[in-house]
Amino acid sequence: MIRRHPVVTGTGIVCAAGDGVPAVWESIRANRSGLGPLTLFPSARYANHLVGQVRADVDARAGRVRGSRSDKLAWIAAREALAAAGLENMDPARTGVLLGATVGGMAATEEVLAALLRDNRRAFGPLRFHECAGAAVLCAKKIGARGPVATFSTACSAGAMAILAAAEFIEQGEADVMLVGAADSLARFTLNGFGSLLLLDPNGCRPFDARRAGISLGEGAAMLVLEAEETAMARGAKVLARLSGWGASCDAFHATAPQPEGLGAFAAMSRALERGDLGPGEIDFVSAHGTATPDNDAMEARALKKLFGDRVPPFGSVKRFFGHTLAASGAIKAVLAVQSLREQATPGTPGFEVADEKIGLQPVREFRPQPLGHVLSNSFGFGGNNVALVFSDSRRRRGEEAHSESRSRRHCFAPARADSNRFAILGAGVVSPAGNSIEEVAATFGAGGARVSAFSVPVASPATTTRVCACGEFGAEQFIEPAKRRRLSRLQQLTLVAARRSLAPELLAGVAPERICVAIGTGLGALADTAAFLENMILKDERAPRPAAFTGSVHNSLASQVAIEMNLAGPNFTPVPRGIPFETALWQATTEIGAGRADLALVGAADELNQYQLAAGMRWGWWDEASPEIRPLPGEGGAVFTLGPIENKSAPLASVSAIRIGRGENVEAEAQAEWICETLARAGIAAGEVDALLTGTIGLRATDEYCRVLGAALSRRAGREVLRLDYQRCCGEHHSASAFGFLTAIGLVRGEIPVEPACRTVAIFTLTTDGTRGMCCVRA
Amino acid sequence: MASLIETLVEELKAKLIAGFRLEGVTAATINADMPIFGGGLGLDSIDALELVAILEQDYGIVITERAVANKAFASVRALAEFVAANRA
Repeated sequence: MIRRHPVVTGTGIVCAAGDGVPAVWESIRANRSGLGPLTLFPSARYANHLVGQVRADVDARAGRVRGSRSDKLAWIAAREALAAAGLENMDPARTGVLLGATVGGMAATEEVLAALLRDNRRAFGPLRFHECAGAAVLCAKKIGARGPVATFSTACSAGAMAILAAAEFIEQGEADVMLVGAADSLARFTLNGFGSLLLLDPNGCRPFDARRAGISLGEGAAMLVLEAEETAMARGAKVLARLSGWGASCDAFHATAPQPEGLGAFAAMSRALERGDLGPGEIDFVSAHGTATPDNDAMEARALKKLFGDRVPPFGSVKRFFGHTLAASGAIKAVLAVQSLREQATPGTPGFEVADEKIGLQPVREFRPQPLGHVLSNSFGFGGNNVALVFSDSRRRRGEEAHSESRSRRHCFAPARADSNRFAILGAGVVSPAGNSIEEVAATFGAGGARVSAFSVPVASPATTTRVCACGEFGAEQFIEPAKRRRLSRLQQLTLVAARRSLAPELLAGVAPERICVAIGTGLGALADTAAFLENMILKDERAPRPAAFTGSVHNSLASQVAIEMNLAGPNFTPVPRGIPFETALWQATTEIGAGRADLALVGAADELNQYQLAAGMRWGWWDEASPEIRPLPGEGGAVFTLGPIENKSAPLASVSAIRIGRGENVEAEAQAEWICETLARAGIAAGEVDALLTGTIGLRATDEYCRVLGAALSRRAGREVLRLDYQRCCGEHHSASAFGFLTAIGLVRGEIPVEPACRTVAIFTLTTDGTRGMCCVRA
Repeated sequence: MASLIETLVEELKAKLIAGFRLEGVTAATINADMPIFGGGLGLDSIDALELVAILEQDYGIVITERAVANKAFASVRALAEFVAANRA
C-alpha cells in the first residue's frame, strides 16, 4: 500500500500584516511590521501596548456570517484558501474541516459578563458563540463538508496540531480534502492572561534579541486546503507544496514554561523529519516558534543546536509581523512556509537587532531569496504541547534527492487503520454524577436513573437553583497530594483522578514515557477558572489579574496536566468539538497506537457545570426540569481510559473499534442508521452482531423520539431487536458525556451492568444539533 | 525602619500562608532569609505570579517585568524591603 501524501492546493490568511496572502507577503517582502495600537476594545491596563490587530473591517469582509470575531476571521481566510484551490464538485462525504482555536468567542463573552456584573444586564446572546468549536462547524456548513469535522485546542500549537491531525485523516484514507487552519481574535481575556504571566512586551516583540521581553499579542486566521496527492492530481489541481513531515510531542514539564533544554521541541522536530524521511541536512529553513519570551527563544535555540549540531540552517521568527496569534500562529506559519517555497525566499525577523550571546544563534534579519526544498515550521504551546511540520517544494519530485527513494520504500506503510483494527481497553476511570467506578455506575443504572441535585444559579434573574446531574466528591485527596491540589482547577483534578484510576501502575512496566500518548478532550474546558478570571478582570477593571486562573482555564491544561503529573511524554491532544471530544480523542489516540508510535494511550474527556452557562440555558429554555425525556438535564463529569494494541499482554476489559467522526446536518434517523452500519461494516462488524445502541445528543429537542426511531432503524438493519439506551440518562447532557457512554458500554459487555439479553457488542452514537456526529463500538 | 520591616515580614508570611493555602506551615516555620519560590515551601513560578497579583491588590505595587519580581522575591525579608520602598 502506498502512502497517501497530503499536498497543499490552496492557502488564505488574514492578520495584522495584511488581508490575503498577497498582501501579507508584500509586508514580509518589505520587512514591515503590522503591529500597532489597540483600538478593538478599551483596556484599562494594556491600551498602550502594541498589538497585532486586524485592521480590515472583519464584519464586512466576512459577509453573512453569524458567529464570533474568531469565526469571522476563520471564514475570511477559508474563503481565500478555497477559492485558490478551485474546489468544485468535491465529494462532501470525503471532505472535512479541522481547525485549531483557543479564544473562540471569548471577546464577546467578556462583554456579556461585564454587562451582567457591572450593570445587572442579561444579554446572553453572544454566549452561543463562546465555544472554540464554532469556526470549524461554520466552515463545514458553508462548504457542505460531511467528513471529519473537529477542533483542537492545544494552546499556541493548536493550528499546527489541526494540520497534523488532518494529515493523518488523509493518509489513512478517511478523507480526500481537508480544510485546515486556525483562527483566534484578540480579547481582554488573553491580553490580561498573558499580562498576568508577565509575558507581554509593551513595545513589540523582539524574537531572539538579547533584550527580548515577551510577546506581542495578535489575532488572525490562516487556512490551507490539504488534499491527498492522488485526488489533487486526478482533478488537475495546482499543487502549491507538499506537507511531507509532521511530529508532535509533550514536554510533560510545566503548565506554561517550556522544558529549558528544549527536549520536547527536539522530539517534535525529530519526529517530523523522520516522518518525512528527511535528514537534518536537508532542511533549508526553520520557521521558528520564536515568540520572543526569554524562555521560549533560549529553549528553541538549544533544541535547534541539538538537532542540527553546528549546522543550524537559516531560521527566523515572523512574530513581529502580526504578533502572537495563538492558535492561528501555526496555521499562518504554515501558509508562509508554503509561500516561501513558492517564492524561493525567506521572511526576515523584524524586531531582532542585538544578538544574544547566551543563545549563540542569530536569525535571518531581512527578507531574502534562497533556494528552498524543505521548510520546517515549529509551534509550541502551553503545557509543552509541541508540533513541528515540514513543507516541501512540490516542483521537486519525491525521490529526486538521491537517497530518499529507497528510504521511502523502507518507510512505506499501509494506512494505519486497517478495516479490522481493534484496540484493547486496559483500564477505566470515571468521575460522574452516577458514580466514580463501573460498580457505582451499575448501581445507579440499576436504580433507574441519575443522582439529580440542585445547582445554585445566583446570576439568574431572579437568583434561583436548577436541577442538574452534578458530580459529588470524587476523592481528589486520595490521588493528588495537597501541594499539587492547591492550585489545580476542579476540572483538572477531576480529570487527573479519572486518569490515575484508569492507569494501573503495572501497565507502565517497560514502557518509555515518550511512548504514551494522552488525548483528553473537552467541550468548554474549566469553566470555573474561566469565570473566575473574567470576574476578577471585570470587577477590578483589569487590576491584579490572577495567573493561576488563566493557566487553569486553557483547554489543554487537562491533558497536559495529566502528562505532567503522570510523566507521559507522548503526543498530547486536546480535541474540543461539540459533543464528540471523546470520539475525536479516541481517533487521535488509536491513530498513534495503530501506527506503532505509542504503546499506551490515555483517552478521555471532561466538562463541568457552571452558573453562567446554566443561566443562559435557562433563559433560552434549553431544557425542562419536569421532562428530561424531551432533553436531558445538564450534566458534567469526566472519564479516562487506558488503551493499547489489541495484542497487548494484559487482559483487556473490552475492545474498541469502528471509531469515526463526521457531520450530517438534518439527517433523518434512517440515514444516521445507515452511517452507523457503514462504519460498523468498515470494522468488519455486521449490523446483526450489535446487541445494544447507546445514544446521546447535544442540544437536540425530542431527543428520546429521535433516538427511538434511530434504534428502530438499526433494529431493522440488524434483523432483530437492538436494545437502545440513552447514556445521558445517568450523567446528564454535556459535551464529554459520550466518555461516560463508553464506560457504560464497557459495563454492559462485561455484564457488570446487567441487562436482558446480555450484550457482547455495543455501539455508541452521539449527535449534536449542528450535525456533528461520532461513534465507536465496544465489544467483549 | 527595622521594626517596620519586621512587621511587614510577619504580614507577608501571613499572606503567603493564606494566599497559597499552605497546609502545615506557620509563620514561625518560614525562614525570612530563604528563597520564597523553588524552595522548601513548595511554591513555583505560577505562585510567584500570583504573588505579583497579591502585591498589586494589597499594596498597589505594579510589577510588569519578571526580573523585578525575581529580585523582589529572593526572600521574605527582601520582599518586605521591596514593599516598604515601593508601596503606594
